[in-house]
Amino acid sequence: MSLADSHTIVVDLGYGDAGKGTTIDWLCAQAVSAGRKPSVIRFNGGAQAAHNVVASDGRHHTFAQLGSGTLHGVRTHLSCFMAVDPIALSAEADALAAVGVPMVWDLVTVDEGALLTTPWHRAANRIRESRRGADRHGSCGMGVGETVAFSLARPDDAPRAGDVLAPRRLAARLTAVRDALTAELGDLGYEPPVSAVADAFTAFASRVSIVSTSHVRRLLADGPCFFEGAQGILLDEWWGWHPDTTWSTTTFANAESLLDGVSAYRLGVVRTYTTRHGPGPLVTYCPSLSARLLDVHNGDGQWQGAFRVGHFDAVAHRYAIEVSGGVDGLCLTHLDASVPSLCDAYADGTQRLVPGEFGDLAYQEKLTNYLTSAEPVLTPVISWVPAVASALSTPVVLESRGPTALDKRASSTE
Amino acid sequence: MGSGRWSTDVYSAAERYRSTTGRSAFAYSDEGARTVHPLLDPRKARVRESRDSDEHPRSTAIAVLFDVTGSMGHVPRQLQTRLPELFELLLHRGYATDPQILFGAIGDATCDRVPLQIGQFESDNRTDDDLGRIVLEGGGGGQRTESYELAMYFMARHTDLDCVNRRGRRGYLFIIGDEMPYPTVKPDEVRRVIGDDLAEPIPVEAIVAELTRSYDVFYILPASATYSGDQQILTYWLRLLGAPNVIALDDLAAVSETIALTVGMGERSVTPDQARRDLVEVINRVRL
Repeated sequence: MSLADSHTIVVDLGYGDAGKGTTIDWLCAQAVSAGRKPSVIRFNGGAQAAHNVVASDGRHHTFAQLGSGTLHGVRTHLSCFMAVDPIALSAEADALAAVGVPMVWDLVTVDEGALLTTPWHRAANRIRESRRGADRHGSCGMGVGETVAFSLARPDDAPRAGDVLAPRRLAARLTAVRDALTAELGDLGYEPPVSAVADAFTAFASRVSIVSTSHVRRLLADGPCFFEGAQGILLDEWWGWHPDTTWSTTTFANAESLLDGVSAYRLGVVRTYTTRHGPGPLVTYCPSLSARLLDVHNGDGQWQGAFRVGHFDAVAHRYAIEVSGGVDGLCLTHLDASVPSLCDAYADGTQRLVPGEFGDLAYQEKLTNYLTSAEPVLTPVISWVPAVASALSTPVVLESRGPTALDKRASSTE
Repeated sequence: MGSGRWSTDVYSAAERYRSTTGRSAFAYSDEGARTVHPLLDPRKARVRESRDSDEHPRSTAIAVLFDVTGSMGHVPRQLQTRLPELFELLLHRGYATDPQILFGAIGDATCDRVPLQIGQFESDNRTDDDLGRIVLEGGGGGQRTESYELAMYFMARHTDLDCVNRRGRRGYLFIIGDEMPYPTVKPDEVRRVIGDDLAEPIPVEAIVAELTRSYDVFYILPASATYSGDQQILTYWLRLLGAPNVIALDDLAAVSETIALTVGMGERSVTPDQARRDLVEVINRVRL
């Protein structure tokens, strides 16, 4: 059985950017060429995602909300765990049209329970980050965390996709967002009135179907579903290095909840080196690697901060596997980069970071403090695939030596 | 990371979503179809039949026609998504025995390419295929009148229902839209769209009277952002159909439940108390 025959959850075992997009693209290419009807389901985060996919003909797109299988005509479902930004989505479709992919609306469905990110959330996000000055959290400035925070503080006022079907409720909730955030932060500097935002959201619904939660069951019955995670487990709101985390559950948990008992393959993605975009501990950080392995798709973001590169941090990735409840296989990317060593332990002998109790953020903060001063011990690597499989005690099932689907091949170290 | 590189202007987003250059992958309409699908063509459909069978001995005919013109904005697209739930709801809640559902679409015979699209009565989810074949007009609209009377004419004279013939029980016809019919059924439109020779115009009140021999007719108005525009329309339909048969729908997500519950009340298969409990459940679901 090939990997692309089964439902598969793809998560990043680090801090993001390891290659979830390109992995999803490969899975979709396999499934489509086998005559299947796959779907990509997004299950966390929102428009902050930046999943780079390069087609074999050289076309490139950075997927933010649309699934990374879109170049193959594969459907995207934005699940109830997403914060959906209809305005950014229209711009993303426009960018896709520019690389020759026709309008994609009919490929997209949105769960009626998905939160909606509004321009006021985005404005508030940027104001907060600016006021934090040097203590920035590394937010992407897209308002995703703000959207989630608002919904937790004021669940009855938070706009959701289903509200677009009830115009008066939509207007009331948009007004509540604008007023609450303005009361808290002062002028948000966002001029357009509520009616303009409501109008854009309604236009969104004239193209994109807003569906009930049972839709996932239909997709699961229709073909293999590839669950495309955003960010990485080490940025998880509960398991990451607090407070340098995201407002999102980045483990398999949300996807498993959507699967509702249907089994799926759990695929973890890692590069042959570990990267981090934005502030927070990166134990294996190496300035010379950072300079050498400049990432074509990851510049230093205005809101997010620097992109740093370090050696493969097996200690941190093992922790990610442990807190996520285990992975079935690994996708190892960037095998074309020549990195001579990996980190299998820290200088004090630590090989395992012990997980705390779920939800114990004070413990997570202690981990952060420990990691800030931890030093890596490097071990030379002769052959990457067996080295990573052994360091993480997990088979490598997919190898990637370049950006396109053609650069990938299934393997097994079992 | 950081897709903030893309323009996030609210006005251009609305424009992009509404631009007609979009082409999508599944729906007949989005493949660029500009004429009625042959299976939905009223000229080819002499009579749409709702029949009893061994498998479905006590059929209940339920027809749902919705306005697909531009004034409806996002509503038709969402109805295409939502209406497939209707079958399951009717069966699951036991609101109707052997429901047979027909979907159709209403445009404007004075200017639209597809003034009338009519599917078949089906006892299973083949109705979903009909929904997918419906051409959404988009664009234009807003003149306060569409060819609802032409659709009512077709349903009055070109359908044949066993629930009426055999049991003397009327079917159910739901019209979902945000405008009013033209004052008369016009012979030239009837000839062109349906293919009948009609000697003289029929006033809309007369066609409603004829139609209600076979159907209990309901009008559903999906809410717009303001109440003011809706009132004139509601008043018109209240006069035409009577108060119990006009429904203002605040939340499109509840359209299938609303239709199902209306049928259930009509069939007396649900008590008012149960109906109220079901409604509360629906409201809790859609309000999240």
